[in-house]
Amino acid sequence: MSESSSAPIRVVLAKVGLDGHDRGIKVVARALRDAGMHVIYAGLWQTLEAVVTTVADEDADWLGLSLLSGAHMTLVPRLMELLRAADLAHVQVMVGGIIPEADVSKLTDLGVARVFGPGTPMTDIVGFIRERSGAAHA
Amino acid sequence: MLDALVRGLKRRDRRSLARLISIAARGESIAELVAQLGAPPKSARVIALTGAGGVGKSTLTGKLIEMLRAKEQSVAVLACDPQSPITGGALLGDRFRMPMRPDDAGVYIRSLAAPSGRQAVAQHLDTITLVCEHFGFDYILVETVGAGQGDTAVRDVADAVVLLLQPETGDDLQWEKAGVLEVVDMIVVHKADLPGAERTIHQLQMMLEMAGQTSLPVFPVSSRSGAGLDDLVAALERVRPRERVRSAAQRRLWEAVQAELLQRWKRLETDGAIAALCTQPQWQAAVSEAVEKLCSSTKRKN
Repeated sequence: MSESSSAPIRVVLAKVGLDGHDRGIKVVARALRDAGMHVIYAGLWQTLEAVVTTVADEDADWLGLSLLSGAHMTLVPRLMELLRAADLAHVQVMVGGIIPEADVSKLTDLGVARVFGPGTPMTDIVGFIRERSGAAHA
Repeated sequence: MLDALVRGLKRRDRRSLARLISIAARGESIAELVAQLGAPPKSARVIALTGAGGVGKSTLTGKLIEMLRAKEQSVAVLACDPQSPITGGALLGDRFRMPMRPDDAGVYIRSLAAPSGRQAVAQHLDTITLVCEHFGFDYILVETVGAGQGDTAVRDVADAVVLLLQPETGDDLQWEKAGVLEVVDMIVVHKADLPGAERTIHQLQMMLEMAGQTSLPVFPVSSRSGAGLDDLVAALERVRPRERVRSAAQRRLWEAVQAELLQRWKRLETDGAIAALCTQPQWQAAVSEAVEKLCSSTKRKN
């Protein structure tokens, strides 16, 4: 009956390419759900094009990509390009998984909001999304 | 902002579609939105798929998307998943069981959170389907959260309700329980390739005979093998978009409220300004809002 005054943050979580390790992304999905967000789990083996369509159709605020394949420097630049082309530059992108330290700044230079490595406490991810969303919505 | 989005929707702009669904799902300015949308250029067939969790609603929806696209029918899917009553959070995980067709403009899949409680569908689903109809979809497939029993609210928004059952899910007494069987238009015995399917179909038919519901069609379907899908799609093609229960009731109430108010105003009328007022969108939005409020309060009392 009572509508919450603030709309829940909508987050798409996806894995792209030939990377079948989905435990991490599922843990994140659960943590974000428990933080009151609406998590759209797009699953494994997605193409970048399919992920961008999902983000557009679901009117998502965030896209979380889990990358453990080592292909991040190929996939992320193309993703950012596709998002821009689809007029989705307002969508904030976060990357989780195995990313070498040297590549982290390269990804943030491309426009990735934050890279979360292994062992990141879930509260950090939740806190970061909330903080950034608050600023963006204000 | 709203009128720009409505104009975009009518131009078949997908961003506007996605944004308007978000607005409707949050219950923001529903009356204004409905007033601005008006009647859709053509009606879609709204088909609801319901049944217990794990029975294969998303998988079957995925198959139906492919079958309907092969017939050049455009499809919107509204996939409802439960929302936590405690945190308000939701894990919407239906779309990954459906085919990925990123280049196909004829398919739109949207995940929606349904509040816990009696309804098995998202709030304001009637307005959300109206938005999809204005985009011009031929079919709107609504997937319920899969409560299974008593989730009859879908009937108000769908032209046809399809109940999915699977082999080895309880005896025939399960189906005797009041609720969902009373409001469905067809039954799919899904996973019909599994052992025990024939027995389930047989039991179901006996039960329907006893209940005098022999006209209720039963379709054995296997999404894995594809068996039975053609018959099901043929049945969906025969579904007539009907006056949706809730919107028809609302329309009657709308007319009654408007007439009543007009009468009262007419006593005060001096210069025809009141009659002119009735054609104003703000006035119509206000009446819609009052009707919406009345409808939901009657519903609650029931």
